[in-house]
Amino acid sequence: MIQASKKAVDEGRTLTLLEEVLASPEGESVLTCMQCGVCSGSCPYGEVMKYPPRQIIQEAIAGADADLISSPSVWMCVGCYTCAKRCPRGIDLTDVVWPALRDQALQRGIQPPTELRVAFQNLYLYGNLLGISPRKRLDWAKDLDVTVRDLSRQPEPVEVLWLVGCYPSYYPRNQIVTRAMARLLTAMGVRWGVLGKDEKSLGDCDRLFGEEGLFELLVENNHKLFRQHQFDRLLLTDPHGFRALQKFYPRYGIEVPAQHYTMYLAEKIDQLKPLLVRAIEATVTYHDNCCVGRRCDCYEPPRELLRIIPGLKLVEMPRNREIALCCGGGGGGMWLDGHITEHGGKRLSDERVLEAAGTGANILAVSCPFELSRFEDSIKVTGLEGKLVVRDIIELLAESMGLEERKKA
Amino acid sequence: MIRQHPQVRIGVYVCHCGTNIAGTVDVMELTAFAATLPNVALAREYRYMCSDPGQELLKRDIREHHLERIVVAACSPNLHEKTFRKAAEDAGLNPFLVQMANIREHVAWVTADRELALAKAKAQVAAAVRRVVGHEPLERKFVSITPRVMVVGGGIAGIQAALTLGDSGKEVILVEREPTIGGHMAMFDKTFPTLDCAACILTPKMTAVKDHPKIRLLSLSEVAEVSGSVGNYHVKVRRKARYISEERCVGCMKCIEECVFRSPKFPNAFDQGLGLRKPVYMPFPQAVPPVPVIDAETCLWLKSGKCKQTCVTACGERNAIDFQQQDWYEEFDVGAIIVATGFRAFDPTPMRFYGYGQFPQVYSALEVERLLNAAGPTQGKVVLRDGSVPKRVGIVHCIGSRDHNYHPYCSRVCCMYSLKLAHLIKEKTGAEVTNFYIDIRAPGKAFEEFFERVQQEGVRFIRGKVGDVRPGPPDENGQPQGLVVQVDDTLRGRVTKVPVDMLVLAVALEPAEGADAVRRMFNMSCSTEGFFLEKHPKLAPVNTVNDGVFLAGACQGPKDIPDTVAQADAAAAQALALIDCARIPLEPNTAWVEAELCSGCKTCIPLCPYSAISRDPEKGVAVIDESLCKGCGTCVAACPSGAAQQHLFTDAQIYDEIEGILSYV
Repeated sequence: MIQASKKAVDEGRTLTLLEEVLASPEGESVLTCMQCGVCSGSCPYGEVMKYPPRQIIQEAIAGADADLISSPSVWMCVGCYTCAKRCPRGIDLTDVVWPALRDQALQRGIQPPTELRVAFQNLYLYGNLLGISPRKRLDWAKDLDVTVRDLSRQPEPVEVLWLVGCYPSYYPRNQIVTRAMARLLTAMGVRWGVLGKDEKSLGDCDRLFGEEGLFELLVENNHKLFRQHQFDRLLLTDPHGFRALQKFYPRYGIEVPAQHYTMYLAEKIDQLKPLLVRAIEATVTYHDNCCVGRRCDCYEPPRELLRIIPGLKLVEMPRNREIALCCGGGGGGMWLDGHITEHGGKRLSDERVLEAAGTGANILAVSCPFELSRFEDSIKVTGLEGKLVVRDIIELLAESMGLEERKKA
Repeated sequence: MIRQHPQVRIGVYVCHCGTNIAGTVDVMELTAFAATLPNVALAREYRYMCSDPGQELLKRDIREHHLERIVVAACSPNLHEKTFRKAAEDAGLNPFLVQMANIREHVAWVTADRELALAKAKAQVAAAVRRVVGHEPLERKFVSITPRVMVVGGGIAGIQAALTLGDSGKEVILVEREPTIGGHMAMFDKTFPTLDCAACILTPKMTAVKDHPKIRLLSLSEVAEVSGSVGNYHVKVRRKARYISEERCVGCMKCIEECVFRSPKFPNAFDQGLGLRKPVYMPFPQAVPPVPVIDAETCLWLKSGKCKQTCVTACGERNAIDFQQQDWYEEFDVGAIIVATGFRAFDPTPMRFYGYGQFPQVYSALEVERLLNAAGPTQGKVVLRDGSVPKRVGIVHCIGSRDHNYHPYCSRVCCMYSLKLAHLIKEKTGAEVTNFYIDIRAPGKAFEEFFERVQQEGVRFIRGKVGDVRPGPPDENGQPQGLVVQVDDTLRGRVTKVPVDMLVLAVALEPAEGADAVRRMFNMSCSTEGFFLEKHPKLAPVNTVNDGVFLAGACQGPKDIPDTVAQADAAAAQALALIDCARIPLEPNTAWVEAELCSGCKTCIPLCPYSAISRDPEKGVAVIDESLCKGCGTCVAACPSGAAQQHLFTDAQIYDEIEGILSYV
């Protein structure tokens, strides 16, 4: 089947959806689909999609994908991995079928929803999704009371090369977390550095959008950077970037030791624990992000970090770990809210904050840059303001270490 | 260096095996090659060597061409070595002068490239030709058989096999690890597709076992050790303490009535934990043996030594309660063993999105069997944990089956038991019952008709595996009402939400707890999922690779009651055929010790699994008792001075074979 895809390329015609799926690693598993519908039944948007995941596979196999490709369903996946996790035939829908579908749509000239299109353009022009100049990448570090090694200005060997990520670099709410992280790493005595103006998105979202070409450009750029600098490992604030490095980069022969910060810090828990001097008297519930959680089956490190904070009481939402509800921000979801609501879908973050509040928690702890703003918005919409606040695990750790944000003069 | 061999006349036969071999290996070329090898007097190819004409050809050649050795290049010796040895013997040639070259499993089936396949086949044939020259005529020895069978597992499979053997007049030892026989079938209310009452058809058989003069029932017992081999197994059985003497107890149940616990307090495993029992209890009323059991974990006296022992008082003069009882061992000699250790129902807890263990309305199918059973925890009433009768019931098929995250295989019985449960629940509650299925698999006798009947009764069928289960909408007190299942109704092409009060998970059948230990104990093999492997999937379905050990029931793979009973009878027939022979021939591939080479180091003695080796105190060398040796070769491999040798596997023969391969590749 893979040969068939190669043949199509040789013949100079575009691939069909099925051929494209089959050409991806592990894509052949779609041929074993038994149309049980677990994917569609478990999809948070299955009910409002004209073509939920099961039907995408069936249409692809039938070779009748024209209507499918132009349907709004194409742009309704938020990359939560629930369908892939539950698929009894082990079909990797999230990382194989959806990217192929979106790639096909783009190749056939289908325009993605406007917001998403703008995000693509930003990425292409600026190397980040927010469309802000790379020169402002380090704005978060202005007036910071710890040393930031900007390797783009002065290359030097570091223990940890921290890939800060787009939102954490630019978005004001995330910048608070980023600064906390810088203090925390320094307080732990880690020799860390950042790529400054050279840092670009790792491109994970783009792959899920189906922008394979753009993704490859970014992979190439990042590969070059990884080779230029000396470091023991990569540290990521963004779980999506971590997933990309772990799953997609190796396909291009790029294998770099990388950890999401929850994994990294949990490994250093013995070193971290004595530094947590201040109690945080609060009931906290943790929201598993999809990429570190469901995608990588890594559920305990973030919880371990929360449990060592003095005074903090950790409670669980009914849907936790592998059955956690997605915040709705992945797979391009950050730029699809308008599209999804237009087609009958509800914001998952609204449902999730209600679930969090239902546990009696007053803090919703997160470990993904998208979640802060999504959940904070939802708290406003659902009338939970004053009852529930969203904090990144980094903020909670830094607070317990007494590393508060200094008031600006 | 190639050693010189005496001149012998070898006949080589290359089998096409239809296209199995000939489709990949150029058999003509291979035969022509064989004819050029030293000592080969004759080389032929034939379409099916194992067929009658094929064997006739071989026999005729032996007589007419005075062949002294035979090489058959065909399939695995596992399949037809016996066939060709027999043919040679019929023609007056010692059967151990025949050697097979496996060019099917080792060549044709695993080599795609025709040229490579031919080269490999040539090497195999050359090796066999070179080896067979050094073969010597060997004599078979016979061993007598103990005409007694042990059946391990007292579910319907073990019960059936034991009764069939017992009825034929053979002694049977039936070993069951639970306090009662009956297995899973005893837990069911009705059986599909006939809706026979399970107890009504099972308990007479259980009683028959209890009363059978030829069957000795060992309940609360497990096999601890197995030694010996086909015809003469020696089995050590651990008898677990029941704390009530089976001999003295008359089954009056007074001890249970008078237990210091006035009411049942502990979950009864037989009821899947839905019902309660006392520390002294009967798993269910028709249990066999009809003797209560005391659970050491919960009995006050056994746990703490503090109890008024009202049970002992109640038992009175019969004096059946014996707190001094301890586990003990009994040993048995048997000629054959039937393994019928059954299955375990899949625990759906890991599939958290179905909410088993989280939502009280979610049940596993086995729990619902107990609810439906008149002798069960609710006396046969289908009620939820809060006591209410469900009005809407969902049954989800394929839980843990057909699922790469758990078991990729189809459990074969779940569709049918789900239809049965749908029928029974509807009959008892009038509830609206919906089955969520992927495919309805109803290929048995009267199965499809049963499916149709259940459809006619108004049970709904939605083709789609449930994707998610959530609490229902809140009632006026803010409490969620029932559950909502989200499912892709694949035939309508819509993802829909179906409200239910009760959700039943049709769980898979998986290998029983401890199956792997059982497998190792009886020296069997198993499939990747852990079910015991039959010797041949079609032609030896109840035999195992270990001669004299047979399989029956769900330990070999998921199956329903009719198939289980049929297989149990097949296993009983195979065991009978074996033990009725009185004696069986042994392979003459036994080991011996060259006394001049033996240094008397004793390395081999403790290694022999059959205790066949001893030390001659006068000569100071090892001696192997050929009647005990099973030809495993352990001593041969371990001997540091090369003194231990084995018929059919002498060093010279193995070197010949290696030289044969190396000379012609």
